Amino acid sequence: MKLYRKEGNIVQILSFPNETVEKGDYLLVEDAEARRGLIVQVIDVQFASVPGVLEELLRTLPDGGEVMQGEDFDPLEIAPHITYIQDASLVVCKIRATMENDNLTPSSSWLPSRSQSTIKKLAIPTLLKLARVDGKLPIVLGGTKDSSLLTIDASLLDGRLNIITGKKETGKSHLSKLLMANLVGYGATVVVFDLNGEYSGLGMSSDGKRNANHDKIHVLTPSQNFKVALRQLNLHVLLGILIHALHLPGTSAREFRRIWQSLKEKDKLTLHELGEAIPVWQCNLHVRDALFSRYHSLINSAFFTDNVAEATLLEECLLKAKEQGGAVVINLRNTSAIDRQIVVEYVLGKLVESLTSWKLKAVFLFAEEAHLYLRETYWDDIVTRMRHFGIFTTFITNQPDTIRENIYRQADNIFLFNFTNEHDLDTVSRAARIDAETVKSIARDLPPHHCLTLGKVVKDFPMVVKVKALDIKTMGETRLFFKNDN
Amino acid sequence: MAYWLLVNHLIEQYTITTTPKYNFPQPTIDTTLPQRFTELSLYSLRHVRNQHIQLNHQGFQQLNNIEFVNSIQLKPQPIPLNPRREPCIVAAVDTSSMKIGETATGMLVAVRGATVWKQTQKYRYTRLGPFIFHITEENKREVYDTLQRAYFGLSNSNGHQNMPGIMQMPMRIASLLERWLQTMLSRTINKGLILFDGSLTSGTSDTPIHLMREILATARKKENVVLAFSKMTNLRINGHLITDVLPEHRPPYLFETHGLNAKPPILLLGDIYVARFSKEKYAFRLDIDRETPFPDRIKAVEKLIGNELLSQSYPETLRLAHILCTFTANEVIAMQHFAVRKCGLSIVERPDMHKVLFGPFSKGECYA
Repeated sequence: MKLYRKEGNIVQILSFPNETVEKGDYLLVEDAEARRGLIVQVIDVQFASVPGVLEELLRTLPDGGEVMQGEDFDPLEIAPHITYIQDASLVVCKIRATMENDNLTPSSSWLPSRSQSTIKKLAIPTLLKLARVDGKLPIVLGGTKDSSLLTIDASLLDGRLNIITGKKETGKSHLSKLLMANLVGYGATVVVFDLNGEYSGLGMSSDGKRNANHDKIHVLTPSQNFKVALRQLNLHVLLGILIHALHLPGTSAREFRRIWQSLKEKDKLTLHELGEAIPVWQCNLHVRDALFSRYHSLINSAFFTDNVAEATLLEECLLKAKEQGGAVVINLRNTSAIDRQIVVEYVLGKLVESLTSWKLKAVFLFAEEAHLYLRETYWDDIVTRMRHFGIFTTFITNQPDTIRENIYRQADNIFLFNFTNEHDLDTVSRAARIDAETVKSIARDLPPHHCLTLGKVVKDFPMVVKVKALDIKTMGETRLFFKNDN
Repeated sequence: MAYWLLVNHLIEQYTITTTPKYNFPQPTIDTTLPQRFTELSLYSLRHVRNQHIQLNHQGFQQLNNIEFVNSIQLKPQPIPLNPRREPCIVAAVDTSSMKIGETATGMLVAVRGATVWKQTQKYRYTRLGPFIFHITEENKREVYDTLQRAYFGLSNSNGHQNMPGIMQMPMRIASLLERWLQTMLSRTINKGLILFDGSLTSGTSDTPIHLMREILATARKKENVVLAFSKMTNLRINGHLITDVLPEHRPPYLFETHGLNAKPPILLLGDIYVARFSKEKYAFRLDIDRETPFPDRIKAVEKLIGNELLSQSYPETLRLAHILCTFTANEVIAMQHFAVRKCGLSIVERPDMHKVLFGPFSKGECYA
C-alpha cells in the first residue's frame, strides 16, 4: 500500500490486489522518520483511476458486445502485471488519531511522508489496547472481522445516552438484550419498555430452561400482573397521566386536583369513590364531562384497581432490582396506544419519584420505538433533566427519523446496524460523535447482525462487530400466515 | 527451465484454429519467430539488471520520406463496386512499439503484434507479446541482425550504414515482427483477403524488396489477395491529398491512379487506388498487389465489402488488429512494473529539462 493523498482528515491510499482491505478496517500509516503514525479507518474502497483502463475494457468487447475469442502469447508473462495494475484500488480512509510513542491524540494536522511511510493493517486488539478500550466491567459485544472480540466497558454506558438503530431484522433487539443481560449481571437496574413482548424471555435459555438471570427479570404486563391502586399514586403522577396521556385541559386538571384532595382528606382514594365524586362535583358542566370521560378511560385501561392486593408495586420490583440487579420489563405488547401512554407516564413518573427520593441510585432505561408512547416533551426531559436524576436511556428504533435531531447530537454511543435508505442514513449521520461519510459508507454495507459501534464505548474509534449470539428464549416473533404449523 | 518450457509450449500452440473449409494453418510452417523474439528479449533484459530506469513512454510513428519521380494522376471514372457475399476469410496484421523507459546505456522498448481474422461472421485474434527489449548502442546490431537473419535470411552485417539508430530500433523490431506475421498469414490462409496496414511500397529498410515480393508471391500461390490500407498518405494531386479530391459519386467505389514512379531503390509492388466504401466522407489509399489480375483485384475488394464491416470506409479486421496491438497507458505502467520487479531496475526521476527551463511553455520532451 502507498500513501497517495491527504485532504483534510481524509487520506487516500493506493492498494494492490494482493493487499485485501475492506471497509471498516484500520490502517497504520507510519512515518518512521517523524516517529509518528496516523491511525486511519477505511470508509470506502474504489477502483484506482489507472490511465488506459477504459481502452483496455473496450477492446475486449469489440465483437458486437461479445468477448472476442483469441489467443495471447505472452512469453514474458506481462499479463499478470497488467491485471495487477488494472485491479489496483484506491482506499479512502478517515483519520482517527495520531500515534506517538504509543499515545493516541485525535490530531490530523501533520503530513506523513508519501514516499517513506509504511502502511500496514492495524489489528483490532492492538487498536483496542492502544485506545485503552478496556475496563473492569467488560461486555463482549461480539467478534470483529479479524476474529478478535470487541469488549466494551459497561461503565461507559453509565450516565450515557445510547441509540441502537438499524433497519428491520438486522439485530437491534438482540444487541439491546445483550447489553441488558450484561448490565443486570453487573447488578444494574434496568427498565424496558417492551413494545413487542420480546424481552420477557430474558430469564430463560433457548431450550426453555431458567438461566442465571431468571430471578432478576420481572415482567410486568399492564392490566394483568401490573396494576396500580390510586392510593399508591402521587397526585402529580396521575395528573401527568391525565394531562399528557389523556389530554385533560388545564382548567379540568385544576378541578381534578381539588377532587383528589377532597378524597384524600376523607381517605377515600379509590376508583369507585372517584367515580362517585365526579358527577356530583360542583363545577362547570363541560369540566365535569371532561373529567368523567377521563375517568372512564382510566377504568377501561384496567391498569387501575381498588384492590391493593392485586396491585403490583413497581417500586418493589425496582427495589429488588436495586439490591441484586435486575430488569423490569414493561410488556406493552397487547396494550392500546392510549393505555401504553398511561403506563409509560406512570412508570416514568414513578422512576423520577424514586430517583428523586434516592430510593433508586440510577436506572438504565431501554425504550423500543419510543415515539409510539413517549410524549413530545419527554424527549428533551430524557436527555437533560432525567439524566441528572439517574435515568440513562437507550433508544432502540428502526425509524431513525422518529428520534429528534438533538437526541442524536447528544448521544454518547450509537450502535448502528444496516441502513440502505439515504434518508435514514442522513438522519443518523447527524450524530455529533461521528462524521457523515463514515456512517453512510460503512452502515450501508453492514451485513445482518453486524453493528457499527460508535462513541465513548469504543473511544470514538468506530468498530464493526458481529454481535454475538445469546442463549435466551426468543419471544415476540412475528405471526406469519404461511408459517408451517407442523 | 520451467519458464522456457512454457515459452515453447506457447509457441507450439501458435497454429490458428483450422476449419476443413479453409484448411489453415499448415502444420509444417515455421512459426518460431516468437521464440527468437522471446530469447532475444530475455537476453537483452538479463544485461540490464540493477540499473536505474527513467520512466517515460513514447509511441513511434512511421516516417514516410519516399521520393517519387512522377506525379500521381487519378483516372476520371470511378470503378463502382458491388458487394460479393460469398464467404471469404479476411485477415489483418498490425504491430506497435513503445519506448517504456530509459536506462543509463539505452532504452527499454516494448513490441507487440496482432493478427485478426474474420471467419463465419466471428472475429478471432492472435496476439504476440509484448516483447520487451533492452536496446543499447552495443547490442542493437546484434539484436536486429539476429532477428533478420533468423527469419528472413537477411543480414546487415556488411552494410553498417544501414544499421538503424537506437531511436529507430523500436520501429525496426516492430517491422520485423510485422513482416513475419504477414508471412505467416500469406502462408496459412487459402483464398482469403489479407489486409496490411500501410502501403505496398518496398525498398525501405523496413520493407526489403525481396522479402515483400516473397510475401506477395506466397499469398498469390495460396490464391489470396493482399490489400494494403494506408491511414495517412502524402500523395497529392495539384497539391491536394488524393483522398480529398474525390468527385461526387455514390460509394462504394475505387479510383484508380496512374503515373506514379518511385525513385530507386524504392519500388511500388502494388497499384494505388483511392477507396471509399461507405457514405461517410472517408477515403483511403489502397495498394493492391500488382501481380494480381485486374478482375481479381476488383473481385477481392467486392468480397471485402460483402464480408467485412466497413465503418468509416476502414476494414474492421484491420481496426481490431490495430486496437489489439496498441499499448494502453495501463499496459505501459504494467510493463514498467515488470521491468522494475523482474529486472531489478530502480526508478529514477530525471527532471524534464523542457519543463525545468520553460515551465508552462514547455511542450514536453522531444529529441533533437
